[in-house]
Amino acid sequence: MDEIKLKIKKKLEFPLEADNITPDNFAGKTVAEIKKIPLYYATKKVKIGDFFDVSGKSTEVANTKIIIDGDLSNVKRIGEKMTGGEIEINSAVGMHVGNYMSGGKIVVHGNADDWAGAMLQGGELEINGDAGHYVGSAYRGFWQGMKNGIIKVKGKVGVESMLWAKSSKPANKWPTLYCGSADSFLGIHNHGGTIVVEGNVDRCAGADQAWGNIVIKGKISRILPSYKKVGEVKEVQLPNGEVIKGKFIEYSGDHTIKKETNGRLYVAA
Amino acid sequence: MVEKVKTIEDVCCPFCGTLCDDLEVDVDLKTNQVVEVRNGCQIGTKKYFAANPSDHRYTKPLIRKDGEHVEVSWDEAIDKAADILVKAQRPLLYGFSSTECEAQSRGVELAEMLNALLDNTASVCHGPSLLAIQDVGASLATLGEIKNRADTIIFWGSNPVHAHPRHLSRYSDFIRGYFRTDGRNDRNIIVVDPRYTHTAQIADKYIKVNPNEDYELIQAIRAVLRGSDLDVKEVSGVSIEDIKELVETLKSCNFGVVFFGMGLTQSLGHHRNVDTAIRLVAELNDYTKFLLIPMRGHYNVAGANQVFLWNTGYAYSIDFSRGYPRYNPGEFSSVDLLMRDEVDASLIVASDPGSNFPAASVKNLFKHPLIAIEPHKTPTSAFADVVLPAAIAGIECEGTAYRMDRVPLRLRKVREAPGETLSDNEILERLIEKVKEKLGE
Repeated sequence: MDEIKLKIKKKLEFPLEADNITPDNFAGKTVAEIKKIPLYYATKKVKIGDFFDVSGKSTEVANTKIIIDGDLSNVKRIGEKMTGGEIEINSAVGMHVGNYMSGGKIVVHGNADDWAGAMLQGGELEINGDAGHYVGSAYRGFWQGMKNGIIKVKGKVGVESMLWAKSSKPANKWPTLYCGSADSFLGIHNHGGTIVVEGNVDRCAGADQAWGNIVIKGKISRILPSYKKVGEVKEVQLPNGEVIKGKFIEYSGDHTIKKETNGRLYVAA
Repeated sequence: MVEKVKTIEDVCCPFCGTLCDDLEVDVDLKTNQVVEVRNGCQIGTKKYFAANPSDHRYTKPLIRKDGEHVEVSWDEAIDKAADILVKAQRPLLYGFSSTECEAQSRGVELAEMLNALLDNTASVCHGPSLLAIQDVGASLATLGEIKNRADTIIFWGSNPVHAHPRHLSRYSDFIRGYFRTDGRNDRNIIVVDPRYTHTAQIADKYIKVNPNEDYELIQAIRAVLRGSDLDVKEVSGVSIEDIKELVETLKSCNFGVVFFGMGLTQSLGHHRNVDTAIRLVAELNDYTKFLLIPMRGHYNVAGANQVFLWNTGYAYSIDFSRGYPRYNPGEFSSVDLLMRDEVDASLIVASDPGSNFPAASVKNLFKHPLIAIEPHKTPTSAFADVVLPAAIAGIECEGTAYRMDRVPLRLRKVREAPGETLSDNEILERLIEKVKEKLGE
């Protein structure tokens, strides 16, 4: 794989909007050309070369890997709308990492800020730390958020993660979130998304879920009153084919949406 | 004989979102003081008296020199303010809810020119309602509709007896309407609140909900409304029997309305509380007519949302840094921006974040240059580098304001502005001219 290395060379006072740092924009360009790609800093239009040391080369999108070093905790929108290739971030990263991504892979070796993987259309986002609020969620006012792809978060995800997720059986699209633990309102307004939590979850998980699956291997602080116990199961079959073994209590809901619903919440027995 | 006291009728009160438009104000022409206010509530009346020329009012522009506020000319103050804004890399324009719409419109113009961040006080108040409305829509109405038709009124997390004192007598409770000829006796008042408020004390039914558990309660009500039998016996401190009884009451009324306040928008869950309340109201329309109205606080915060909306497409939390408006509460909302210390200069118009924002964000606000357009001495203006003294809209200058149900009403001028004060609109106009000059446009 062709590698392009970026290293941030300035301490940021304001957030840097780096929606142009994607394999799609870098592929087939020389280092000099990459340095001229615009970014946005406060109210100014700047260039990648002003903020990053750039090295390496690339040919085509699918074969391009961008490796970014230095403190990126205030750099937003890395990997926005990327369709292929890879990005590896060796630091904490700012808001909106991998938003609208439809293909390829992003790995973050650190924490990610809010809206990581928002409106994800495909591809894979891996965060080896905690993530902020609204992981894989819909942006304000959108009725369909994450439609496909996988998000893996090692640590905790913030509130309202996987908001308005939307799956499609005919198109075989199953948006999925794996995380260590989760804050409140996990999978709210879920329309088919799959969520697997290794640890504990705060209140209101699966609120207003129309259909979909939420599997919690730890505890839930307070289950919604509009969820009803169905029974106990020994394994959970997820729509993407995966099987999760273990004793779970199966709940149906959210019954605020329909009297009979296909939404399921599994909590470890 | 020269007239000494002038009475001005049909004055619109610039205090809360109820925007009562039937005040009568007596002004002593000799001293330029308001001497009597009739029809107004305690708080509204107080605003007229507090606005009278006094030590608390700024009458001349001030600039901070060597740590002290010094009186300067308007030209010098405007020049200094424009200088701060033009030099800033990420300026924030905040406030606007206690001024009139023309000034708000100028604020948008200035923000666009400066590629600034623009926000109004909805971001710490009913912003969550706006988010929820974006997500799930809302069935709204004007207050006249409620007055004439509503027979079931729910006050959820709001206490109008204290926050909107004349709301009950003008629109929602005691008032007689076209189909509610017997006033209070024709209406069923339900209050949902963790505290037994004064509104709860005059209600027909009081439901005590546990603090921060409104979301669960509304979810349970909705599930019962869908015909589900729930596993639980009690939700948020309310028994299932009570919930079932409440659902029957709501289904069997002729015309219901939910008025909700900070109890929903600023308790845990925020916009999700409003989201589920809106859905409850929508689902109740399968059985009867049901609506909801947010109890807006500042008299023109609804106007700020309207003005920002028609100018930029968004109601609050707007960022012009790329030259076009973008919107994302949480990312571009004032408190969050200040918490992350992303702002390097601010212009505060008719608002006092110094006493309302979290301490950590206020610290960051005061760290950087600060301009206040403000009639009174406030904790914010005390720390300002430039204070531009404003005339109070609705008392000392005219303008337009939007009531909580988004009905625009004309504010009237009842007396002359003191000293060298100018209207917010004029100040912002001058500032825009100066900024244009400095930007070389």
